[in-house]
Amino acid sequence: MSDGILVDLRVIWEALVRFFGLEALVLVIGLVVILAWVQVNALFLVWLERKVAGHIQLRIGPKEVGPFGVLQTIVDGIKLLGKELITPQPVSWLLFILSPIMVFTPVLVAFVVLPFGPHLIIRDINVGLMLIFAFGGINVLSILMGGWASNNKYALLGAIRSVAQNVAYEIPLLLSAMSVVVMSGTLSMQGIVEAQEGVWFIFYQPVAGLLYLIGATAETNRAPFDIPEAESELVAGFHTEYSGMRFGLFFLAEYTNMFIVAAVATTLFFGGWRGPFLPGPWWFLIKVYILIFGVMWVRWTFPRLRFDQLMNFAWKYMIPIALLNLLVTALVMKLVR
Amino acid sequence: MLRKTLTEDSFYLNLGPQHPSTHGVLHLLLKLDGERILECKPLVGYSHRAHEHMGQNRTYLQFLPNTSRMDYLGGLCYNHAYCLAVEKACGIEVPERARYIRTVCAELNRISSHLLWFGAYLMDLGAFTPFLYAFDDREDILAILGEVTGSRLTYSYCRFGGVNRDLNQNFLDGTKAFIPKLRKRLKDYRTLVTKNIIFLNRTKGIGTVSAELARDWALTGPNLRACGVAYDLRRAEPYSIYPELEFEIPTATAGDCYDRYWVRMAEMEQSLRIVEQALGRLPEGPVKAAGVPQWIQPPAGDYHFSYESPRGHLGIYFVSDGGRVPLRMKWRTPSFSNLSILSEILPGTLVADTIAILGSIDVVIPEIDR
Amino acid sequence: MNAVVRYLRDVFSGAWSLAMGMSVTLRYMFKPVSTVQYPREAMPLPEVYRGHIELRRFAETGSHGCVACGECFRICPSGVIKVQGLKEEADRPNRAVFYFIDFSRCSLCGLCVEVCPESALAFSKVYEEVGVSRYSTVVDLIARLESQGA
Repeated sequence: MSDGILVDLRVIWEALVRFFGLEALVLVIGLVVILAWVQVNALFLVWLERKVAGHIQLRIGPKEVGPFGVLQTIVDGIKLLGKELITPQPVSWLLFILSPIMVFTPVLVAFVVLPFGPHLIIRDINVGLMLIFAFGGINVLSILMGGWASNNKYALLGAIRSVAQNVAYEIPLLLSAMSVVVMSGTLSMQGIVEAQEGVWFIFYQPVAGLLYLIGATAETNRAPFDIPEAESELVAGFHTEYSGMRFGLFFLAEYTNMFIVAAVATTLFFGGWRGPFLPGPWWFLIKVYILIFGVMWVRWTFPRLRFDQLMNFAWKYMIPIALLNLLVTALVMKLVR
Repeated sequence: MLRKTLTEDSFYLNLGPQHPSTHGVLHLLLKLDGERILECKPLVGYSHRAHEHMGQNRTYLQFLPNTSRMDYLGGLCYNHAYCLAVEKACGIEVPERARYIRTVCAELNRISSHLLWFGAYLMDLGAFTPFLYAFDDREDILAILGEVTGSRLTYSYCRFGGVNRDLNQNFLDGTKAFIPKLRKRLKDYRTLVTKNIIFLNRTKGIGTVSAELARDWALTGPNLRACGVAYDLRRAEPYSIYPELEFEIPTATAGDCYDRYWVRMAEMEQSLRIVEQALGRLPEGPVKAAGVPQWIQPPAGDYHFSYESPRGHLGIYFVSDGGRVPLRMKWRTPSFSNLSILSEILPGTLVADTIAILGSIDVVIPEIDR
Repeated sequence: MNAVVRYLRDVFSGAWSLAMGMSVTLRYMFKPVSTVQYPREAMPLPEVYRGHIELRRFAETGSHGCVACGECFRICPSGVIKVQGLKEEADRPNRAVFYFIDFSRCSLCGLCVEVCPESALAFSKVYEEVGVSRYSTVVDLIARLESQGA
């Protein structure tokens, strides 16, 4: 009986491969897996964030739904799905509806090139790193769209802040990533991991690593760089007018972005899936979650920077240091080779 | 009005009455150019409950529960002030022990008010965690005060001629344990917040008020002392047992948000000192003067009393015609005057600074509106 | 050169202050939680807790001791108390037959308990009272005392 089904599946699989080609099929299956993974991961991260925040603040955090409250976020997600999607009357509705979709879609693309393990990667493109950063840039556009379309002053202010901030912080982010690229000599994510045979790049590039983490925190609009959605100033910033699952998509995108930047940091600086005893994907996830914990820890410790100070910090401190670091790296690499 | 001066590049932002950091229902009408504030107009009155009028419609004792509802963070201080005012009018002599007890409780209340301010201010600046630490400490004070007053927020503890109930052992033990605990916590706050580079950047040089400006706008309390004026009614017009106690009046010089923050933090330490001293020399004796009538009738005339509430100068003015009900009741609450300076110091700052300045002034909306 | 030194000192002192702040939150993370999980456990109420009022049951009579003197409704700032007494026998004091109080307007000031000459009133420790309409907040305390049984 079970043999029969397996045989049937094999026949179907071969037919599909013949029809679509293996590459396309792997891509489709990969995307489905990513979609599922993104949701589960975001739910887990929200739960983790609430637990971390709770314990830092001498509270417990969610505890009622499921063991240690792990199912709390699922219940919250269901609640969000069940809520009404309010479209205020004076918004420009096309952009308003498009924005949450646009903020979420590019997030998925980045997963295509993330190396979870030596073989667990959907496509190892030779410009993988560039792809992630390129699609990460769309995030800003959708936030601007949402803020503008909401026809709300708080949302507009949040959107303006977000654009200025992201433009400023993408430069040190790219520059610090570039120093790693100079060392490894490749833009492929697998290639970068393979270049870290033996010593992680964080030991060669501690400054770049720190700059990358700071820039990544700012890119994902996390505290202390959360000025686009600073709740004590701008109510909720660019997503003030969003409700229901549209808000949920922004939320989902934020946490998934967090995962992506942490995953890229792991790949660039912490040796990706490399590690003893455990198989690669485990090491990858452990490193990513440790980084994410650090980001959460920072969020629940510091007050928020002011907008102009944020800009000052990027242009006066981060970019010069990143440029200097890149220069030194390039010189040293030239001398060594 | 603001509306006539609107140019094409500016727009209005209604900050409040429903906004996360207006601490209630304060409404600030801001005229903005981008994120820079051109003009600010505080609009108050959303939680007006006519407390003064209620005072004119009930007897002196019946009005007592109202006093802690004006400023819900400094309820016991307001009770204390009101009782002192009425006692001054009637010439009631308060037993020594009752005076000590009142002072201890009022100072604990002052600490709890400052703690809540500290937490809420940091939350305005975007740090959520100190808020909960401060609430954890404040919880201890509320529990201690609850042990003796029976209530956690609207105390109604003082009575004309004394206090309602003598201190019990739980109170004494709780306070003894609490003082070192808070001192330790204040050290943590210094590491976590006061020295934090982001916090310093957010508060230093923001919302600077000179001493002259502060006097012009009748700023009182910690806001005035942050400008370098060592004016504290506990020393300037001493009442209760304050002349017998040793404490300093912390002052700063710059008058910016950081100084206002620093003065309040230093005041907490001084209040701890006061509590410690007062409990150390707590005399024995009755806690309530004998022979105070239930329906108190101050002789005809008008009376004024000034009190240093956690937020500044609290003035109580009432006119008596010799009857059981005051003819006129007027409360000069500190937040109302402190708030009005916003329209002077906000123009030229950013929206983020607005929140920092508004928070640093420490307003309690129900007290503004009464 | 001076400017560079100052620049670097700014960077390092800033980073140091942030690191110290993070060490504080990390330390607090491993402290025991200070919250009380309310519906599952409740805070102990202080002995002198000032809640809603109730009539005290006296052991000698097995009933309340209110003589309907009216002190409480005269002192009540909100005027929410209504008490009616009845003189059953000529040489015995009055006895209250109903004692209405509107809890929705009561401000829990406790003045009524304080003035009661017979100490017939006490503070109740029940603070989770709910009703389905605002009329259910008007309670006859005598009827409630009797319904609670001896």
